[in-house]
Amino acid sequence: MFPWIYEFHWSVGHLVFLGLFFSVAAIVATTIVLALRRSRKTLADQGHELIQWKTEFEDLPAAVRVCRHQITGEAKERTCHNEFDCRSCAGHPQFLARRSPALASAQTREECYGVVLPLDRYYHRGHTWVKAEKDGTYTIGLDDFGAKMVGTPDAVELPEVGSTLTANGTGWTMRKRASSLRILAPVDGVVVEQGGADKGWYLRIRTEANEHAFRHLLRGEEIRPWILRELERLEYALSSDKMGLSLADGGELMPEMWKHDPDIDWDGVWGTMLLQA
Amino acid sequence: MDKQLIPRGLRRTSFTNFLMWLVPWVLMLGVGLYAIYLCLAEGLFHTNMDNRFAFGLWIYLDLTVIALGAGAFFTGFLLYILRRDELKSVINSAVVVGLICYSGAVAVLMVDVGQPLRAWFTFWHPNTHSMLTEVTFCLTVYLTVLLIEYLPIVLKNRKLRQIPRFMVFEFQLHKIMPVLAGVGTFLSFFHQGSLGGLYGVLQGRPFAYREALGIWPSTFFLFVLSAAAVGPSFVLLITWLVQRISRKQLVKPEVFRFLGKVSGILLIVYILLKAIDTLIWMNYTSPESGFAAYMFYHAGSFGTWILVLELVVLGLVPAVLLVTPKMRARPGVLVGAALAACCGIVVNRFVMTVQTLALPTLPFDAVLSYSPSWEEIATFLAVVAYGVLLYSLSYRYMTLFPQERDLYQSSWR
Amino acid sequence: MEQATEKKSRFGMLIDLDRCTGCGACMISCAVENNIAPAEQKATTRTGVTWIRVSAMSNGAEFPATDTVYVPMPCQQCEKDTPCVAVCPQNAVDVDPQTGIVGQVPQRCLGCRYCMTACPYHARYFDWWDPRWPEGMEQTLNPDVAPRMRGVAEKCNFCHGRLHAARTKAAAEGRTDIAPADYVPACVEACPAHAIVFGDLNDAESEVARGAAHPHSFRFLVKLGTESKVYYRSERAWVRDNADAFRLA
Repeated sequence: MFPWIYEFHWSVGHLVFLGLFFSVAAIVATTIVLALRRSRKTLADQGHELIQWKTEFEDLPAAVRVCRHQITGEAKERTCHNEFDCRSCAGHPQFLARRSPALASAQTREECYGVVLPLDRYYHRGHTWVKAEKDGTYTIGLDDFGAKMVGTPDAVELPEVGSTLTANGTGWTMRKRASSLRILAPVDGVVVEQGGADKGWYLRIRTEANEHAFRHLLRGEEIRPWILRELERLEYALSSDKMGLSLADGGELMPEMWKHDPDIDWDGVWGTMLLQA
Repeated sequence: MDKQLIPRGLRRTSFTNFLMWLVPWVLMLGVGLYAIYLCLAEGLFHTNMDNRFAFGLWIYLDLTVIALGAGAFFTGFLLYILRRDELKSVINSAVVVGLICYSGAVAVLMVDVGQPLRAWFTFWHPNTHSMLTEVTFCLTVYLTVLLIEYLPIVLKNRKLRQIPRFMVFEFQLHKIMPVLAGVGTFLSFFHQGSLGGLYGVLQGRPFAYREALGIWPSTFFLFVLSAAAVGPSFVLLITWLVQRISRKQLVKPEVFRFLGKVSGILLIVYILLKAIDTLIWMNYTSPESGFAAYMFYHAGSFGTWILVLELVVLGLVPAVLLVTPKMRARPGVLVGAALAACCGIVVNRFVMTVQTLALPTLPFDAVLSYSPSWEEIATFLAVVAYGVLLYSLSYRYMTLFPQERDLYQSSWR
Repeated sequence: MEQATEKKSRFGMLIDLDRCTGCGACMISCAVENNIAPAEQKATTRTGVTWIRVSAMSNGAEFPATDTVYVPMPCQQCEKDTPCVAVCPQNAVDVDPQTGIVGQVPQRCLGCRYCMTACPYHARYFDWWDPRWPEGMEQTLNPDVAPRMRGVAEKCNFCHGRLHAARTKAAAEGRTDIAPADYVPACVEACPAHAIVFGDLNDAESEVARGAAHPHSFRFLVKLGTESKVYYRSERAWVRDNADAFRLA
């Protein structure tokens, strides 16, 4: 094995053989060390929130990773490869140049199948919303679709005041029945106040309020096609388990809808709908 | 707790049912471990091997299992190096199968050798001319690579990934997977080949001896090719079996067809080269060493039928079925052909190991027979049980088939 | 230092099959000389350890033409590409360039049995059991030969203990070369029919070298190209004609 060990030969064959072996062993060891060092760096940089989103996004079914511009019908077939972050998407500005949906007044709302979504705010694909408040802060909440689907949470774990939110990272977590649900944060920001289901919003944050920071969020006329698609997705998720529950016959999304059939794998359904693996 | 570990959105049987499924395998493992204890503690006289039949059931099955486990490296090669992304849906399962095959083989090998505690001698003062040295080195490193490849699958478990440290490490490991896939391919090329070379170099065994191409006998290349050819077939077969047992669709049918196609094409090339090799051996190599090739097929019960079985019935036939798109499109034919291809390799490794040892060389010797002892069979069954247990646990608590959730949630369509 | 000045030898054997009666004295003397433990009760002809083994070979003819020959077969000490040497993963088999004797180092052996698979003469044996001697019999052990542990391969080494003794004697007498009469393996000594001749094939005058060159001398499986150094001799043509391969029944 080494020159000072018995039966080592300074012959070409022996040296090539051991050379290859040591090279391969070195490559394998280096990969491990590299992965460990990179992991340490990521953890130190607090980059794990985004990595979690990246890995979970990869695992989402292709039908979920559809681009917002396909949902609205602007593009024929377009799958997102950018983890739903339109801020760094090369194609998104081109779509914006042709048509740019905007927020509406507080009175306008979108209603379908019992889901009510006011159009005065931005929506995240993970069913959260961001709304500008008069005092310059922003509130974040779970949209009606999410709220009806999950119902009143058994427990809510909100981030402390002063902690930082990362868009697509963990906004807060909720427990419902046996499920622990990670609600995705819609934007970057710093938490200034904790809310709750009863207040209608979960977090009040301070964030840099420029259009670019909200670019990845849905708004205006994008909401209707999106929510229709979400209803369809929910139906797939439900109907695959048991045929008991269906929205196709003109039913409406009910609060605490899990009560209609508690035997369904709600954990799976909620996870799929709230974009987590 | 059990429920918390199962990947979200996947249907798994109840914990009680799962335990019931494990019980027989645990018993089987227990009996095997007792047999292993007897062999290690008291000696290898517990086997039916002898001075003439120095390799038996264990070596034969090691060779077979390693050939079938080639699916792990070859799927990795196709996915990470050749970028065939459709194989993403089976790579995890292939890695687990590969890990089971290789770790099982190494475990049995450690029982098989008379002085397992001296295994490190091979590293310390290796004879680099020996095929077994090449096998030992490659197998050890490749098993390490397989463990590293298995690690992200484990870390991605629903509960474990909640620990940021694990999740980040999994992410970083996954990013460098192509490097490991490349290393795995390199190592597999050498040890699969060396396992073939093991017999091809046996100058004293004219039934196995083959001419050298460069520094390796032809069996080196035939083993590499045959392992690469049946690897995908075995992945296909295991996936199909898991689908049947779990009564769920786990991957899309086109993945099956792609695996079958790859297997078929390689099998055609392999059978062609194997036929040429056999002809050269029959007409040149064997007579040169004083043994007319027909003698091997007139001694004992190994007639030419075994050649026909290996090369035609379980070789050419499945290969043709797999490369014909029309035949491949029929699930029954596809699975049947994959099974036949795997059986072909089982027969090939049997011929190389058991037939080689059974055939005499000296004029006063006759064909030998050998039947394994219960300890040998139990030891092997322990590996099977271990494999089923590891696979079952992985299937229940890890995401082996990334398409499963997707397919399941759209299965009503 | 002793080895450096010793002349290069190629020790070989010539076994006269016409003289061999198949009595098995060679096997017994070999076992005693080399500390081979008595066979376990469950041992068979295929699991027992016999560094030299006598097998019977028949011409297969009907009476009265039927004829049998007994073939004692120790390790054939192959010279060219020695099959067992090349295959051993951890250098536990080596050929002594000074003597041409193929040696086995049991302390290094892993017990993988690849060498046994490689040997065309089946002259290698494995210790399937722990070596055990009945109470009192350990007194008869040869102090010049180390017994082998369970789980390793072993084989004939032309009585290495005797070679060592001969070298010691030569050194004591101030010689660098051993005297041929001082180095005679146990089987050669024990054979009542004087069927086995042993000596240095490099020494053209030795009985073994002269005998090996005789037209009626032959080696088994010579076409495998292993260049074995154990020669056989028979006046009977059918014995010589059948030496190259196995025979179909």
